[in-house]
Order: sequence, then C-alpha cells, then structure tokens
Amino acid sequence: MPDTKFHRKKDLPSTHLLGTGTPMCAGCGGLEAVHEIYDILGEKTVFVNAAGCMTLLSVYPFTPFRGSWLYTSMASAAAGAQGVRDALDILLAKGRITPEEDLQVVVLAGDGSTYGMGLSAASSAIERGLDFIYICYDNEGYGNTGQQSSDATPHGARTATSRGSRGFPGYKKDLFSIWTAHKPAYAATAVGAEPLDLARKIEKAGDLKGPRLILTLAPCPTGWDYNPRESVEIGKLAVKTGLWPLKEYIDGKVVHTHIPTQRLPVEEYLKRQGRFAHLFAPERNEAILSELQAMVDTYWEEVSTGLESGGKGSCKEGSK
Amino acid sequence: MKTASRILGTAFFVEGFEVQDAPRYGAERRGAPIFAYVRASRNSVNERGIIRRPDLIIVADETLVRIPGAGVMCGATERTVLLVSTGETAMVWGERLSFSGPVIPLPLVAESEDRLEARYIGAACAGAAARLVGDISREALERAIRDELASRGEKVVRRNLDQALEAYDLMAAHAGCVAQGEEVSPEAYKKPDWIDLPFEGARLSAPVIHGAATSEGVRTGLWRTMRPVIDYGQCNRCWWVCSTLCPDGTICVNEEGYPQLDYEHCKGCMICVAQCPSHAIRAVPEHEAASDEAGSAASRPSSEGGRS
Amino acid sequence: MKRTLLTGNGAAAWGARLARVEYVPAFPITPQTEIIETLSKWIDNGEMDCRMVTLESEHSMMTAAGAAAVAGVRVFTATSSQGLLYALEMLYTVAGWRVPFVLVNVSRGLSAPITLEPDHNDILAARDSGFLQIHCSTCQEVLDSTLIAYRLAEHERVRLPVIVNMDGFYLSFTREPVEIMDTEAAGRFIGSYDPENIQFRASMPISQAVAVIGGSPYSYFRYETHLAAMNGLGVYDEIAEEFTRTFGRSYEAVEAYRTEDAEFVFFMIGSFATKARDAVDRLREAGWAVGLLRPRLLRPFPEDHIRRALAGKRGVAVIDQNISMGKGGVLYMELASALCGQGKTAPVLVSFIGGLGGRDINLEEFYEIASVTRKAADEGRVPPPRLLYTAEELKEVRKLQAIAQVERRELGGR
Repeated sequence: MPDTKFHRKKDLPSTHLLGTGTPMCAGCGGLEAVHEIYDILGEKTVFVNAAGCMTLLSVYPFTPFRGSWLYTSMASAAAGAQGVRDALDILLAKGRITPEEDLQVVVLAGDGSTYGMGLSAASSAIERGLDFIYICYDNEGYGNTGQQSSDATPHGARTATSRGSRGFPGYKKDLFSIWTAHKPAYAATAVGAEPLDLARKIEKAGDLKGPRLILTLAPCPTGWDYNPRESVEIGKLAVKTGLWPLKEYIDGKVVHTHIPTQRLPVEEYLKRQGRFAHLFAPERNEAILSELQAMVDTYWEEVSTGLESGGKGSCKEGSK
Repeated sequence: MKTASRILGTAFFVEGFEVQDAPRYGAERRGAPIFAYVRASRNSVNERGIIRRPDLIIVADETLVRIPGAGVMCGATERTVLLVSTGETAMVWGERLSFSGPVIPLPLVAESEDRLEARYIGAACAGAAARLVGDISREALERAIRDELASRGEKVVRRNLDQALEAYDLMAAHAGCVAQGEEVSPEAYKKPDWIDLPFEGARLSAPVIHGAATSEGVRTGLWRTMRPVIDYGQCNRCWWVCSTLCPDGTICVNEEGYPQLDYEHCKGCMICVAQCPSHAIRAVPEHEAASDEAGSAASRPSSEGGRS
Repeated sequence: MKRTLLTGNGAAAWGARLARVEYVPAFPITPQTEIIETLSKWIDNGEMDCRMVTLESEHSMMTAAGAAAVAGVRVFTATSSQGLLYALEMLYTVAGWRVPFVLVNVSRGLSAPITLEPDHNDILAARDSGFLQIHCSTCQEVLDSTLIAYRLAEHERVRLPVIVNMDGFYLSFTREPVEIMDTEAAGRFIGSYDPENIQFRASMPISQAVAVIGGSPYSYFRYETHLAAMNGLGVYDEIAEEFTRTFGRSYEAVEAYRTEDAEFVFFMIGSFATKARDAVDRLREAGWAVGLLRPRLLRPFPEDHIRRALAGKRGVAVIDQNISMGKGGVLYMELASALCGQGKTAPVLVSFIGGLGGRDINLEEFYEIASVTRKAADEGRVPPPRLLYTAEELKEVRKLQAIAQVERRELGGR
C-alpha cells in the first residue's frame, strides 16, 4: 500500500468542514462527494464553479465554504481556474502574497457542463498543463433544470426529455477516456458511497501538480426518482454491478482500484430507480436490459484481458 | 402544491372563471418549501406575480408557518381566510399567529408517519378550498381532478378524487366563506416609499460574501418530515458510517467517539438510518419528535412561530 | 518620450506595456491579432514583466481575464467582432464581478455575412453590459485612452472594466505619428494595482460572484453597477484633466470641434470623425456654420456635455456606422433620448447610416449630409433615415450577383 493517511475507514475525517444549511436536495449524492472531498482538500482552496446544481451552494448571503469560491458560467469554469491560478502565480512570483496565502484551485462542475459545453475549456486547460483539480459530480443529466438528458445520460434512462417507453436513446459518453487521452497528471473515478477509495484518490490528487481530474458518480434522488435514503446504497450498487468502475489514470496507465469479483446483475441497480422503471413494467424490456448488461460485461472482460496481458486496466493491490 | 393549485385553477376555469395559476420556484429542490398561487375572476385577470392581498391562504404543511422566508402569512388581513392542514384547533392557530381572521383547520388523515408521503394532501386542500370559495361545484372539482391527473392512471385519479371530495364535503359548514377582495384604490393608497438609491463602492456592493460558512445560519432542519434518532445503546462507534455518509455533514463525532446529530440542519434524508451497520438509528416522524421536545423543554427562547 | 509611426494595434500594445499590465489572456482574431503578437514578443524578450496565456475561445478568454482580476492582478486583453460577441455572456458577468481591467476592441463588422472590415455594431452590442466605453479616432488616442482607461476602471468610485475601441484597418493597421511617453511618467500616472477587498488569499475566505435570488437584492446589485458606471462621468473628467496636465494632450468626454457658433453639427464616433473634421473645415470655408461633436466616452453616456454642446443648434446630422435591424442607427436613438424634452429649441435630428463593413463615407457625402440637414431644419420636416448607398454601388453588386448566378436560380434555371 503506497503512502496514504487513509488505511482504514476509521482514518476518515469525523468532523466536517463544509458548512451545513445549503439548499441541495436531501440525500444528494453530489453533495455527499463534495463534503467528503472538502474534508480532505481543506480550506486553502478556491472552488471555481460552473453552472449546475452546486451553483446554489452559495446564494447571497449564505455560503458553506470556509475557503473561497468563484462562480463563473456554465462553459468556462476551467478558464476561470486558469485566470485564478495564473494570478496567484504572478502574485507569488512578485512577492505580493506569501506562499502561505496560496490556494489550491479546484473546478466544481456537473456532468452537464463537463461532458458538454465545458469540455472545450477543460480540454484546453489540461492541454496547457494547468495546475488544478477538476471535480465533476455526475448525476447523468441536466439536474438543476429538472433532469433533462445530457451527454452523460445512460442508455435507456428516463429523463425530462426522454420519456418514451425506451428511455434515452443515446449512450453515456466515455468522458474518462477523453480525459486520459490528454495525458493529465492524474484522473480518477469515484463515488461518495465508497469514501475510503475516494479519500485516497483525493489525497493523491492533492499531492500532485498539474491537471488532476476526478469524476464522481452522484446518485440523485430527485432526478433518478428514488427515496433519498437509498442514495448510498445505489452508489454502492453502481460499483458492485460493475456499472461504475473505480479506476485511476496515473503514470500513463489506467489502473482499477477495485475490481468487483462477483458482479451483481445490473438490474439490481436499475430496479431501485424510478428512471428505469419502464424497463421493468408493465413488461420487462429484455432487449435493453440485456444490452446494458452486455455493455458492462464487455467492459470487464476487456479489463481482465488487459490484466492477463499486463496491458490496460490493471488492478491495484490491496484495493478497498 | 403545484398540482393542487392547478386543480383549483382548473375547477374555477370549468365554472367559467378567468384564471391565472402558477407555482413559485426557487431552484428545484427536493424537500425545500414550495408554494403556488391562483387568481380567479369573472373578468380578465391582469395582475401578475405573487398575490399581495390573498383572500384565502391554504397551508398544506403547517411546519412552514415557522419559517420566516416562507412568508406564509404575507399580506393576510382579518378578511383573509386561513385553511390549514393540521391536527390542532382554530383557536390555537389564531393565538399562535396573532391572527384575527377566520382559521379553518383541515383535519389530517394520517396515511403514513412521514408527511412527505402524504400524497393526497394537495387534492384534499384543493377540495376544501373549492368548497370555501363557494363558486365551485362538486362536478367541477371532479372534472378538474380528472383533467389534471389523467396521465397518472385511473387508480391514482380515484384516490385523489376520494380525498378531494371528502374534504369538499367536510367543509360544508364553511361553504362560500371566502369573498373576493377589493383592489387598492387610486384615491387612497399608501405612497410607495421610493428612495434614490445611494451609490456604494464595490467594497460594499459587489456580490461577494466576505466570510466563511455563513450558510449555517439557514435552518435546513425545518425541511425535515422524519427525524433520525440515535440509540446510543446500540451504537458501536464503527468508523462512523453515519458521519461520513451524511451528505450535509450534520453528524460529527465527539471525543468519546459517539456521533452527534445537528438537528438544526438535518434534512431528514435518512441515509444514516439506512446505512448504520448496527441499526442504531431509527426514523421518527418529525411532528412527534418536535412536540416531544417542546413538551419536555423548559422555557426555551423561541425564534420560531409567529410573524417575523 | 519619442514620437514615432505606430499602427493602432501597436499603440494599444504600447498602452498595455506602459500600464504595466501583469496578465494577458489572449485569443487571436482579425484585425486585433497584432496587439497580442506585439505583447508576446516583448514578453519573450523580457521587455515586459507579464504573463500571456492563449485560451481556446474568447468566452474563455474573458472568463480568465475577470478571474485573474478578482484574484488581484492587473489584466489586459483584446478582441473584435465575433470574438466580442462570443464573449458577450462574460462581458455582463465580469462587469457584475466589479473588477477593473481594460479590453481593447478593434471594431469589425458582424456576421452574417461575415466580413473583416470595420463598423460599430460589435462594440455597441456591449453597451448594456456594464463595461465602460472609450472611442478613439487616432492611433495616439488609442495609446492615451488605454492609460486613461486603467485609471478610470480602477478608481474606487467606479471599479468596472473598460473597453477602448478603435476601428479595424483604418486605425488598427494604419500607421500614424504617435508620441510614446516616458515609461516612468506613465508608471506614475498609472500607479500600482489595488485590489481593494476583492482578491483570493488563504487568510481571507471569500465567496465571489455568488447567486442572488430575489428581485430586490438582485436589483440592488444591478443598480449599484449602473451608479458606478454613471460615476464614470465625473471620474473620467478628473482623470482626463490630470492626463492633460501631465502629458499635454486633451481628451474631453466629448470632442467638440468648431461647434460654438455652429448651426449644424455632425455627430459621430470613431476614426471617420477625422474625415468629418476635414468636411467641417471645407464647409466653413464655403460659408457654412458647421461643427463636429464626437463622443469619446459612450458609456457612461455624456448627456450633459452633449446637451450643452447642442443647445441652440438648428440641426444635427447623426452618422451611424452601425444599424439596429428593424429600428435604425444606435447613436441616433441615444441622442434622441438625450435631447428629448429639451424644449422647442432642440435641433432637428437627421439620421444617416453608412460605413458598414468599412464602406467609405467620402467628402461629397459629408457635404450632401450637411445639405440635407439644413433643408430639414429650414422646412421643419425630417426625412426618413438615409442608408448611404449609391446607384453605382448597386450596379457593382448586380455584377457580383450575376457571377453568383443569382438571377439564373431565380428564373428556375439549373
């Protein structure tokens, strides 16, 4: 096990830094991830935000941040991060601020921005080698406006703009691969329901320099249509069914931090959510269900083939 | 509430009124307070926006009255009728709000402990309101419900209808007590208190919060309909599942290793209840827990209740 | 201090250099690109202690500009036309952040159809954004206005970004004599950047540009931004005066050329106003009482200056190098609202629209404009707006259409 403060779950923080009283939905999987992340990154940060649900974390005069925050626009948070980082570097170089005053620059954006209109700004920021952390909370749709479909929406999901009997006709964009094609300093997937895995990744990201990209699945009771109390369970099922692989891109390679040994059928995950109810009632849609299962199966077959041949997608030791 | 307002609006419309109804949004937030309004007139409705002088206020969630921001009693005069879904009496409400107008309680039907699960309360409120305004017939109410809920299927329509009509009938004694109010007269109006806004430098007037965690002043605990309660006998101080997984960070762990819940801010999502490995946290209906608390607390300075 | 030949772009680059800007987020677009190329060269040579970053779009560029300013450094950037419009969302946004910086816009006509040559539709699209606007008619003015703009933007009674506008091609690529003042003197005039209480520091947590819900609080922030912009009038006058005392050149909010005893006045902005000056001189020689009124400051709108200058005039020829589709010239509308209610002695306003996409406005046209204006004043009858265009020009367009086979398609040919 490489150097980490988080060997066991008891090493996770037990007091929390992000202020309470924000207007995020009860049971928000995105907020779950953000509060865990903030505990680790701390208050020497400036969160640069793109339009989405989390924009409402700070509504005048209320903010939950003990560090700093800047709301920009939907498409250009990564460019805002560029400006802030460059300015801080200039101030440091000129001695106008001391190194103790420096801040880690962190973009916080939803999937709507990240997978779509924000991709160009992020791509360029990564290409310029910007020293920043990028956190995407992915609830698989344009959540703040009522869960319309986005480029992150999975095949078959019901959204406000895909209410037909077969759900969303498109497929979820493979953002992680797009990110890793840029060869960033670090990239990882995570989910708030697996806090130890997330903590290690954030800790690792925090210690590196350059573009560091985190994609967290954000189970969304409002958009995915389930009782808020299920948010963690659904996050865990996303991992256990293999639908949400936990992996990192580091030193030029993709490494899985967890390989589910006995994957649960994806149905176990799908059937807990109202947004997939049409796949089960009034009749089971075997075509879509088996397609979704096949996609997951194929992914993990490729991972294990990669493991055998020592290629992509190897597994870390001592996962979880 | 949006559906309730649309049922009422459609019922008026069916009876030949000109109608304007709308929900009031902040951003869509599950659990946050929401309200809607309905205007109905025999003439065309030209006024817009929030109703400044309500003839009838319908409260589906009585806990909202304690939230200043909810502005439940805003604009009420002694002519305004207040319809409240509640287990308490009119007199208690009148005293609590220092309100001298008519208060009509709509008795709660306890379908589930969790009031958030009270699906039909909207229909019940709409039904009761329809009777109170006097101009809406039973038939119009039924038609409105069928129109608004058609897409949900016959079973759902039936259940809503039953609730609405029951409430409609229950209000027989108060039928027609809501009267159409008068608009403000140009001959006798209070002058708007216009000022020349003074210039203030960007140090003051930029949209910036110069402080940390000011959000803690927002009591999101008021959203709760169910409250998680920890049985410390069962709690075995794990790695603190509850503390880590609470999305809002309302559970901190004390020096002895026991989790402490911040009830000022807990939204009642119940993730902690669902995830506690030793099942040491149970869900209690908020109105029970709150009244237990009120009963057992000594004189506690109340920043809740009443007008703000 | 040296006097040399510089293009408008070169002058803008010198303005940024003398203002000791620290950060230049950049994106190329014709006809502005030479500005950032010049700055880039100086930075690479070590002649400027500044950082330049190329963003991938103007929308991102403007975001980075505002973000660096709210983090506490002096920022400069430049764009034109399509780039300005791509950034338009962020123009409103960063103005609302209440931070100072300077944007040089090199005016260019807007798509569609896409073109490269200048007019003023781009810069006028930004007039509601909260950015202040200074309009230049010479390359010297570009350099000087950039320095004035920093003082204006950074003043505590303003704290808003400022656009310095010059016409593409006619100024941007055209060399004219420009006096480059001494670096130390410029440095003293500019001073160092004071972020006030808007900056990012670990010791001072701050949440900036936060959402505001509710019409009343939102209105507070928007009105205050407007009041700050209005303060720009008084502040500009002070700074312009100080500039004159320091460097000798005069830049009143509105340039009034031979207007004191004029009966008729040309009203326009930008580089073509120097052509109008020539026309004024020649008309005067021919016995006319004519003058030119050229607003330098367009936002805030220098209403008092303009009313005083035009009081008692018989006619104003408003020459717009822009067009608001479905209404007409923007300067015309703004002037009309300024003079509305000024009594029966207000001058007649006659609207002329020309110069779109760099179309020339020649001396003959200025003479005819004066003539039409005089006729309108004499008869008390204002003709409809004149779109400046000749029969000859239309003939030329017909030839182009023929090549483009416009007619043939119309006749249903293959």
